[in-house]
Amino acid sequence: MGENGAGKSTLTRVISGAHQPNAGVLIIDGDEVRFNKPQDAMAAGIRVIYQEFRQNLFPHLDVAQNLFVLDLGGRFGRLFVRRGAMREAAKELLLSVGLDVDTAREVASLSVAEQQQLEIAKAISEDVKLLILDEPTAALDETESGFLFEQVRRLRDEGVAIVYITHRLKEAFDLADHVVVLRDGKVAMDESPDVLTEADVVTAMAGRTVEDLYPRHTQPTDRPRLELTDVSVAGAFESLSITVHAGEVVGIGGVAGSGKGEVPRAVFGLRRRTGGSVQLDGKTLDIRSPRDAIDAGIAYVTPDRQAEGLALGQSVGDNITLASLPEFTSAGWVARGSQRAAAAKIVEQLGIRTSSVDAEAGQLSGGNQQKVLLGRWVLRDPTVLLMDEPTRGVDVAAKADIYKIIDEQTREGAAVLLVSSDLPELVAMCDRVIVVRHGRAVAELTGEALSEQSVLEHALESES
Amino acid sequence: MTRTVGLLGRELRAIWMLLLVAIVLFIATPDFLTTGNLLNVVLAAATTALLAAGQTFVIILAEIDLSVGAIMGLAGVAVAIVLKDHGFLTALLVGLLVGALAGLINGLLVTKTRMPSFIATLAMMSVLAGLTLRITEGNPVAVNNDSFLAIGQAKPLGVPAPIWIMVAGFLVFGFLLARSQFGRYVYAVGDNAEAARLSGIPVDRVKILAFVISGVLSAVGGFILTARLGTAQPTAGAGMELAAIAAVIIGGTSLAGGRGALIGTAIGAVLLGTIDNGLNLLNVSPFLQDVVKGLVILFAVFIDRNSGALSRAAAHIPRPHSRGTVPSSTN
Repeated sequence: MGENGAGKSTLTRVISGAHQPNAGVLIIDGDEVRFNKPQDAMAAGIRVIYQEFRQNLFPHLDVAQNLFVLDLGGRFGRLFVRRGAMREAAKELLLSVGLDVDTAREVASLSVAEQQQLEIAKAISEDVKLLILDEPTAALDETESGFLFEQVRRLRDEGVAIVYITHRLKEAFDLADHVVVLRDGKVAMDESPDVLTEADVVTAMAGRTVEDLYPRHTQPTDRPRLELTDVSVAGAFESLSITVHAGEVVGIGGVAGSGKGEVPRAVFGLRRRTGGSVQLDGKTLDIRSPRDAIDAGIAYVTPDRQAEGLALGQSVGDNITLASLPEFTSAGWVARGSQRAAAAKIVEQLGIRTSSVDAEAGQLSGGNQQKVLLGRWVLRDPTVLLMDEPTRGVDVAAKADIYKIIDEQTREGAAVLLVSSDLPELVAMCDRVIVVRHGRAVAELTGEALSEQSVLEHALESES
Repeated sequence: MTRTVGLLGRELRAIWMLLLVAIVLFIATPDFLTTGNLLNVVLAAATTALLAAGQTFVIILAEIDLSVGAIMGLAGVAVAIVLKDHGFLTALLVGLLVGALAGLINGLLVTKTRMPSFIATLAMMSVLAGLTLRITEGNPVAVNNDSFLAIGQAKPLGVPAPIWIMVAGFLVFGFLLARSQFGRYVYAVGDNAEAARLSGIPVDRVKILAFVISGVLSAVGGFILTARLGTAQPTAGAGMELAAIAAVIIGGTSLAGGRGALIGTAIGAVLLGTIDNGLNLLNVSPFLQDVVKGLVILFAVFIDRNSGALSRAAAHIPRPHSRGTVPSSTN
């Protein structure tokens, strides 16, 4: 474990032969080894499943060809590939990791979880001694994660050594025989989870005590701010009625595919409503585009900051002011001075670590990029803040900062709708949590009834 | 070092190439470094430069406009035909409208039908070039209107009018790109259109306007060429789109979108003009000139790619900015 930039990825690259160490030795099964290139490490039985594993797949080739891409020149015929034999071998291998799909299917048509299993199958198709998994659950939902854990345990029992990199404390405690925390490129902790508490690990990662990871201090008012009445989006969710009061944080929980992520998108004008109405401060809104929503004082933090959040090649300042540019414009010309000053204020207020507002946003760490995205909306003093996975892929210290920003926004009267698959986050930050399953609200949990266990149970409960 | 977003970056790298070529030509031929010749270089580059200026907006948006040469040809012919029966201003207005309309169609095709701009503008190039030939039956159209000819042939303060027009165009549109709200939106949309849309930016309108600008500036390029020659050649624009795109790329604007500046495009256009001029002075066969120009484009892009990769590699080891967020004192 360790925060972004602690050295986890670099260490992985050294072990897998992609980087050469400046000093020190690598010992495998008692023998000192030296890897000059990734192929050397692979020959020694080391495999890595990267977080961006999809980059290693060929989306338009079928499952079997992806599995045996390195063997295409020999194993199944020299000049022409014997497809039948290849598909049979693929089938057998996939079943061994519990993946039952047609091996003639295009890889792009598989779910993210299935693609990951395919990657694992590829990794163990040859003799593997050490398997490194880099944040394997980042893109998986609860059920899929559960299945992955079974795989990991099974491989461990078969004698494969496993290095499992994760941001999630719970996974480390559930899976690991040893928890190693890196900080600033050094080992900050190496213990058995049996003698550790979660607080110990957080402290080791952050290098300080994070007493208050979830600073939720503001009391919600009883003034309704955002009211959804019987809102439907065809194919996503049906007849949802949710009221968020001023100063309140309402959570939406549910598994991937439950439709939870579509709720804020419908409010923000990104999905067309097929029924129901949305009211803000008692007035009915007709929002058809993000522009309408922004003008009404609504903000939306997307779950995918790379794909649709930040313009990574533009400056931090331009990103922060992206939704507010008209405010810095007169007669078509942008007042660069006041634009930069406003951005600089947000950088300071949110504690964004950047050399200047002119630095390229893509150069910042994940946590700081997320704060830039949040800053874009804090600048606008939103009355409604819609957030989807606001702390995904963000380290502990930045997480605490983001929660603090959420709490500050509610203190100023904002209504917050928080969609998350991070259960501790939902339970600690939300005043109420609505659980969505198959596009319908199945539970509204608050007070004593609100716990990780109860959210999970309602999210997973089978259809009656 | 953090990379910052600013003017003095990749856009100005082409200036070193320009200096290098100029020095080589200065040594190789005494005719190069004379005021008359230098003005000729810029004069010849003016048409390409105007086409390339509009193209810069489109390419920063991560789109492409292959129809600029065809628009230029059509607008030049349109002006010449209208001048037969009408006055100077009417003709100019019609020519500009032709450019704007063609750009508008390009923009609507790209945004509303979601056609890739490569396909849409390739088709438009064919349509407009064919239309130009149909209207003229393939014959050049002569122009006798003196006010119009002055656009290409007058020399206020000893400098040819096309150069004045080019400089004015680059100043106006350079400021528009760098300092206006529309210009900032061009960069944001080109870098990440989804992020721009989620920030309330009218993505389609920005793209349409960029194609209109490209069309209008191509029309102006058509006026200049027609006025310089005294006749509108129906095939005047053939191949000009490639020269314009080359000038933009040599000037450091990224085909991937989100990066670039008009100053680089100006240098790129002048560089191409200088090479043309030098090869003529050195009596290089015209057939070989295209080969040389192609090699220069490859070289410029190669330098750009690799210096980028080198500085990026240097910036990433060690990676000071991927370090975890140690709380700052404000927390």
